[in-house]
Amino acid sequence: MDTVLEIKNLGMSYDTTEGSVSAVDNVSFRIMNGEAMGLVGESGCGKTSLGMCIMKLLPENAKITNGEIIFDGEDIVPKTEDEMRMIRWKGVSMIFQAAMNALNPVYKVGDQIIEAIVAHENIKKEEAREKVRELYKLVGLSPERMENYPHEYSGGMRQRAIIAMALACDPKFIIADEPTTALDVIVQDEIIDEIKNIQKKLNMIMMYISHDISVIAETCDKIGVMYAGNFIEYADTFALFDNPLHPYTKALMSSFPSIEGPKKELKPVPGEPPNLLNPPRGCRFYPRCSYAEEICRNERPEFIESESGHFLACHRVI
Amino acid sequence: MGKYIIGRIIQIIITFFIVMSIIFLLFRIIPSDPSSFLLTPSMTAEAKETIRKQFGLDEPIAVQYFIYLKNFVHGNFGTSFYSGRPVMSIIMERMLNSILLITTAVIIAYIIGVSIGKAIAWKRGSKTEKFFVILGLWFYTTFTPWLGIMFLWIFSFKLKLFPLGGMITPEKWILDPSLMEKICDMGYHLILPLVTYVLLWFGGYMLLMRNSMLETLKEDYIVTARAKGLKEKVIKNKHAARNAMLPIVTAFAISVSFSIGGAVLIETIFSWPGIGRTIVEATLRQDYPLVQGAFAVITLVVLLANFVADIAYAYLDPRISY
Amino acid sequence: MKKIENKKASQIRQIWALVRKSTFIKLGVSIMILFGIMAVFSPIWIHINPEVYDPIIGADPNVHGSVGPSLQHPLGTDDIGKDLFSQLLRGSQVAFMLGMMVSVFSTIIGAAIGLIAGYYGKIWDTLLMRLADIILTLPRLPLLIVISGIFGTQSNWIILLILSLTFWPIISRVIRAQTLSLRERPFIESARVSGVGNTRIIVKHLAPNVLPIAFYYLTVTVTGAILVEAGLSFLGFGDPSNMSWGMMLQWCFVKGYVFKAPYWMIPPGLCISLLAFSFYLIGVGLEEMVNPRLKKR
Repeated sequence: MDTVLEIKNLGMSYDTTEGSVSAVDNVSFRIMNGEAMGLVGESGCGKTSLGMCIMKLLPENAKITNGEIIFDGEDIVPKTEDEMRMIRWKGVSMIFQAAMNALNPVYKVGDQIIEAIVAHENIKKEEAREKVRELYKLVGLSPERMENYPHEYSGGMRQRAIIAMALACDPKFIIADEPTTALDVIVQDEIIDEIKNIQKKLNMIMMYISHDISVIAETCDKIGVMYAGNFIEYADTFALFDNPLHPYTKALMSSFPSIEGPKKELKPVPGEPPNLLNPPRGCRFYPRCSYAEEICRNERPEFIESESGHFLACHRVI
Repeated sequence: MGKYIIGRIIQIIITFFIVMSIIFLLFRIIPSDPSSFLLTPSMTAEAKETIRKQFGLDEPIAVQYFIYLKNFVHGNFGTSFYSGRPVMSIIMERMLNSILLITTAVIIAYIIGVSIGKAIAWKRGSKTEKFFVILGLWFYTTFTPWLGIMFLWIFSFKLKLFPLGGMITPEKWILDPSLMEKICDMGYHLILPLVTYVLLWFGGYMLLMRNSMLETLKEDYIVTARAKGLKEKVIKNKHAARNAMLPIVTAFAISVSFSIGGAVLIETIFSWPGIGRTIVEATLRQDYPLVQGAFAVITLVVLLANFVADIAYAYLDPRISY
Repeated sequence: MKKIENKKASQIRQIWALVRKSTFIKLGVSIMILFGIMAVFSPIWIHINPEVYDPIIGADPNVHGSVGPSLQHPLGTDDIGKDLFSQLLRGSQVAFMLGMMVSVFSTIIGAAIGLIAGYYGKIWDTLLMRLADIILTLPRLPLLIVISGIFGTQSNWIILLILSLTFWPIISRVIRAQTLSLRERPFIESARVSGVGNTRIIVKHLAPNVLPIAFYYLTVTVTGAILVEAGLSFLGFGDPSNMSWGMMLQWCFVKGYVFKAPYWMIPPGLCISLLAFSFYLIGVGLEEMVNPRLKKR
């Protein structure tokens, strides 16, 4: 299998009035052809920042401090805005949250998708329109809806349209950033099913970002767990669920209800994520970890392969 | 939509009615003798009688009020004390002159202000941005008559490039020139007041557009547009500016009300025979029918501008449906 | 408790750091200080020779017609031998006072009306906001001219009153919008549930939260008030018992000296513009700080 995306030692930080915040720190992983990878973590752990790094859509006060993002065999970190424009949507596209204002309120939804196609493919507007019509059918929307404005859609419909938009240029790789957050539970399930279907149908390579590990378990082949800007565990979905190694992963799993498993008491992860202005010197999870030892306070654990295909950053387990 | 428009029209009529009533009260209650402001001692007995009749001055105040409203509805603002001409015809003539100056100026200022505002928002934090913000603010807060006088002094008096005031050169018009010559002559007189006006007003639009644009650039759909790999120009003009324009449309209407205040001063400086200068002169000459009429018309224009802005806003923003 | 104090102190330090970084505020404050010095210097200058330098009654008997700058008259004199420099100094006092007072009064009125409309809602809201709409649509300068015409002689107090009465609606609208959004916040809700009186909620909880915005409008209103007062004075509707920059320019204009005596024409207009400019600069600087949506992306 070939590697589609490989991230090596990626670091990204925000400049704030109070200092520099390292939102993504020393992250490495790779995604193979045909794989769906899930990225899970609490809000503010840097998972969205990581997604934005891959598209190089960073706010003005943020910068990639080190590392490489090798997409399709090329490092995109040194690429200019103009070069990135070619990669965006055609190479990497993104499913945004519908709850956000991801669609421009003053243009018809159909036109906003057509616009993306026309920007990248050398085809006429009418052909693009035909393509959007097909996409609408694929995501379960009636093509007449193309003529409506975003505010005339329901939340679920908007999310479907955003999925259609992400598929518009047949991208190699799709990042889905919390696509079901802020939808009600029934619609959430529908959208997840839709994504699973499309994923099967199109053999989509994707990275699915969510704070909800159960949603990721349903959709992804591999799972990466992020904590405070670090990757702490990365493994095959089954392996991870069978044998979660990192204390944080364990805590995270017990904080969400499992859909099929037996009923058990839910335990929220105690404590708060660290202040990234001044992160702990050693393991960033150390202050909240119930298994913490002296070494955890002083030394940053390395992210290494502990079993075949199972990566981990924890002193205790090794 | 139709329902909304009718609603707005009713609202305008009510507001106008209230304003007219306030004017009526102001003119009648404050001076001790209600007729003193309508009748000047120099008038002939006959003229006095006509005015008494016209305004119903012998009637009780309530009846006077209805006569006043009736006259307004019929567009009958009475006769100017000073010139003896019907107020309505004076106002129409002056209003046209003002509209020529104000609308041209406001449109130019708007286009310049919005374009610069858009450009500097994109260059947030740069020296260019700071320069234009300070320049725009400076002109926006410059004392209108002073800027006008400075321009007259430099460009007309010293450099002799432009006329010292007025709207036409009477000597030329007596000779009955062709239409083209007339237009050129008017344009020649228009330039200096126009430039003054534009300089004074572009800063306001520029700042508004800049702020609105900065807020819009933070919206999620701008990230979407960038993610889609659209060109900078498309993101700026199509996605950001189109949304940023929405609040500016409302501001445009409010600025009409302020620009009439500016017109009062500019028309005075440049001897432009417009409605603003008329209201000043009429007040100084205690020509009350003309003052009343001019004020009523100005208020109506401002109300209509607000109305047009509301409709335009509704048209530009698909989220609003009535 | 100590922690809270520390937090407050660090907040103040942060605000101070932002103020120091703001070119707009620095420039605005510098200009304003200059005029403050002028206003303070006014009585000292008059004290040197009241008979010549008093801006209202004084005149130099040795001067015939308007003369240019000299040692006795740093800015020259007007056509009847009055010292222009002392007029300019007095104008600084008047502009400051009037501008500040109008802005304070209209901000108080506007804030009060906005708070009441936003907090009580219903019929209060409708009535007060309609009133604000009507006043906003009135063309201000023509209205002031008409009122001046009716009142006959004008005094600064009447100008002050009318300006305050026409400047409050913008402030009240903004404050109302803020109050509406604040009213739904948990801390107001909890205060209401725990039985705190309405007045107390408004004064204790809402007012401090809308203060920053009110402060921004305060500075912008000063600009408006200074310019409108100058405009009125320039058109001949000023307070004849006092001296203002608008009036200086009016006399220069009416007496036909605008092109003959630049030393008379330039300073008053420049002062009006600069003082108005300085307040507006501070306002814009404050807005950049207060409005998080204007911050850098």
